[in-house]
Parts: sequence; C-alpha cells; structure tokens
Amino acid sequence: MEILKYARPQSMDEAFRLISEQRGTAIGGAAWLRTNTKTIALGVDLADLGLEYVREAGDHIEIGAMTTYRELETSQLLRARFGALFEATVSHVVGIQLRNIITVGGTVAGRYGFSDLNTTLCALGAQAVFYPDQTVDLAEFIEKGAGAPFLLEKVLLPVSAKGAYRQMRISENDFPIINTTAAWTGSGWRIAVGSRPAATRLCQKAMAILGEDPLPSDETIASAGRAAADELQFGSDIRASAEYRREILPVLVRRALMEVRG
Amino acid sequence: MNITLRINGKEQSIECQPGEMLTEVLRRAGHLEVKKGCDTGNCGACTVLLDDKPVLSCSYLAVRAEGREITTIQGLADEAKQFAAFLTAEGADQCGFCAPGFALTVLSMKKEFFHTPSEAEIRHYLAGNLCRCSGYEGQIRAIKKYLEADHA
Ligand SMILES: Cc1cc2nc3c(=O)[nH]c(=O)nc-3n(C[C@H](O)[C@H](O)[C@H](O)COP(=O)(O)OP(=O)(O)OC[C@H]3O[C@@H](n4cnc5c(N)ncnc54)[C@H](O)[C@@H]3O)c2cc1C
Ligand code: FES
Ligand code: FES
Repeated sequence: MEILKYARPQSMDEAFRLISEQRGTAIGGAAWLRTNTKTIALGVDLADLGLEYVREAGDHIEIGAMTTYRELETSQLLRARFGALFEATVSHVVGIQLRNIITVGGTVAGRYGFSDLNTTLCALGAQAVFYPDQTVDLAEFIEKGAGAPFLLEKVLLPVSAKGAYRQMRISENDFPIINTTAAWTGSGWRIAVGSRPAATRLCQKAMAILGEDPLPSDETIASAGRAAADELQFGSDIRASAEYRREILPVLVRRALMEVRG
Repeated sequence: MNITLRINGKEQSIECQPGEMLTEVLRRAGHLEVKKGCDTGNCGACTVLLDDKPVLSCSYLAVRAEGREITTIQGLADEAKQFAAFLTAEGADQCGFCAPGFALTVLSMKKEFFHTPSEAEIRHYLAGNLCRCSGYEGQIRAIKKYLEADHA
C-alpha cells in the first residue's frame, strides 16, 4: 500500500474536514486497506481520536469505531449484556494477532459481503453514528451505503437485545460460506444473514412469521428458517454454490433461534 | 519520513514510507528474526508483540508503532530458548520458519492466562499461526508441557 500524504488528525473536526473536503481515506486497522488499495492520495489515520471504547450510555452500549475485534471478544461489558455472542461472532476471524488490529469502523464502513460482525450488528438493531451528527440504522447503511464521504464515529447497541450467531466455514481461518444472527429485541425478533456471499440483509418475512412471541414453537421456528432461505438471494463463488447456501441456511437460522428462545 | 521505534527496549530511528507495514521496516532495521510468510494477514509468521499484545506486523502500519514497545523474538530470547527445548523434545520443529511467530504467541498466552490453558484454549489462541510442515500435533504437545511446567 502506498500513501502519498499521511495525516494524523488530533480532533474529529479535523478528521472529518480531511475526509469530506479533501477526499482523504479513513484508516481504521488498515488491514483490509493494505490488501486492496495500491495508492492512497491522503491517508487519514484515526488512531489519535479516542475512538477505542466499549461503554454503557443510557439504554445503549457505545462501541467506538477504532475498537478492535479482540476488544469486542474480551469485553466484560459485552459479555455481561450479550453473553458469548460477540466472542462467537468474531473468534473465527483468522487469529488473535489480526483481531488485535482490525476495527469495528473498518468493518461497518467496508460493508463487506463476508462479514461476520456486520451480521450480528444488524440483527441486534445497531445504529451507526456518523460524525458530526447523523445516526442511521446500521442494517440500512449496509444495504444502501452513504451518498457522500463519511466518518463513522461509533456504533450503538440496544442493551435489551439478546442474540445467537451461527456460521459455516470450509476451514477455520477462511471467510464464512454463510452466517446468521437471530435476536430477540425485547419486543420482536430480528434475523440477519450474511456471506450469501453478498452483504448482510434482514429477513423481513421470517421475522414477520415469528412476530412478537418471545417463545415461538419449534414449528414456527422451522418455518421462519425456511422463509429466510426463500426470501433472500444467494450467489455462487469458489466457496459454495447458491443452492448449497440456501440448503444450509434454514438449519443455522433454526439453531440460532432455538438458542435465543431457550 | 523518519520514525523512532522502540524495539526490544532500544530506540532506533528509521526511514519509512507512510504506507509501509511494520514487517518491512523491522527487517530493514536488521530484525530479520521477524519472518515474512504470506504477507496477507493469514499465517502469523510475522507476529511481534506491541505493548505486550501479539499483532501481525505485516498488517500493522509502521508509523503507528511510534511510541509503543515492540518486542520481537530476540527481545524474549531466554524465554524462547526455554520453549524451544520443549519443541525439540517433541520433534515439533521442521523448517522452523513459523517458530518465531508461534513462540511469541505462546509467550503472550502464558502471560494472559492465569490457569493452565486447556487444549481447546491453546488451539483457539494459536489459530492464527500456520505451520506448513509439522501437522501441529507435536507443537500442541510441546506447548501443553511447556505451559504445565510453568504453572506447576
Ligand atoms: C487476512 C484477512 C482475513 C479476514 N477474514 C475475515 C473473516 O473471516 N470474517 C470477517 O468478517 N472479516 C474478515 N476480515 C475483515 C476484517 O474483519 C475487517 O472487516 C477488515 O479488515 C476491515 O477492518 P480494518 O480495521 O482493517 O479497516 P481498514 O482496512 O482500515 O478500512 C476498511 C475501509 O473502511 C474505511 N474506514 C475505516 N474506518 C473508518 C471510519 N471510522 N469511518 C469511515 N470509513 C472508515 C477505510 O477507508 C476503508 O475503505 C479479514 C481481513 C483480513 C485482512
Ligand atoms: S506474513 Fe503476516 S500473517 Fe503471514
Ligand atoms: S516448521 Fe516449517 S512452517 Fe512450521
């Protein structure tokens, strides 16, 4: 990776100005950027902006954009609120040496098809906070992106949600073939599916089948799993065919739902 | 640009490009014990400790390492030697290319765990260190015995 000009802003205002007015490229962990980009005209390093935190704020948990996967995996606060959900979601991503580098911000901003984490964030009903003052539904951002250059500041999680993650990989360190997170928000169900291989989407029809019942029957859960496979589009790539993904998904959705329901 | 890195307790001033990764810069500074394997973030051969945490130096921006404590396997030579004795006893090393990365991750695990890790915990912690020769069984035996001896 070549960076022609490197900036290390000391304030969010300065970082935002460099990104929005000078078309600078935000640098999160840089682990993905370096595999992808040959030349960056202006690299805007977000390391000094105090964006590494997982903290409680009212009825939300805030996760700063520069928080690493390893911090998610080992956060006592996330464990207390969501059990092993975050560990289950990120612990298959290569090894801890990479997870000590890669960031929540780079993951959300990148809207990668293969993402494990974006699936869990979408299912929990997370919001993405863009500096200076825009808060949007994270699932909608993953689907539509942003129209203009942006600086992601943090992600907000509702504390009332609880969820379970399931994925399938050919080998431990590879990208997932398919993944899903099911979550009970306190008033309804959410199911997100990623690595189709396209990016994460919510399964609206499957969610409607489950409705507002916190204890759906095994039959209802099974039909929600089938509905998820029917309503989404899948693609084929070197890891799996669209048909294979469609066959596997209902099983993973069912297992995730059963884990949350208990 | 010129940066100052603190490597194994010594400060070194090094010329680097802003987009360069830490592996390149460390090797240019003479630290050839930092191995370059896949250079894509997948194998763990390039592992160094940054403020005691294991990171892939091939995927870490060198400029960001300024002001932080970088430890290569040379900086933990005594501990590495002790661990190497266990590897040798189990016949776990073949070409040895993965060994510096493996050893640093094991030494980091030793610091992080207050109990003797189970085999599942060891495998999980070391999932980011690939070895193309050994098949892992010997290494796992060696790591278990090394950690058990430490916690005994
Ligand atoms: C070898 C390897 C294997 C991987 N395997 C997996 C896997 O199995 N599953 C998985 O889910 N993920 C995987 N990933 C992806 C990883 O989880 C991260 O999503 C990815 O590395 C991006 O995070 P980063 O911190 O490196 O971002 P960067 O590389 O720094 O940035 C990525 C993009 O986001 C932009 N950006 C970063 N931060 C911000 C911000 N705050 N505001 C606005 N824009 C921003 C950057 O400009 C860039 O376009 C893998 C990555 C690597 C390198
Ligand atoms: S050389 Fe860094 S992970 Fe392979
Ligand atoms: S001994 Fe050869 S790569 Fe591990």
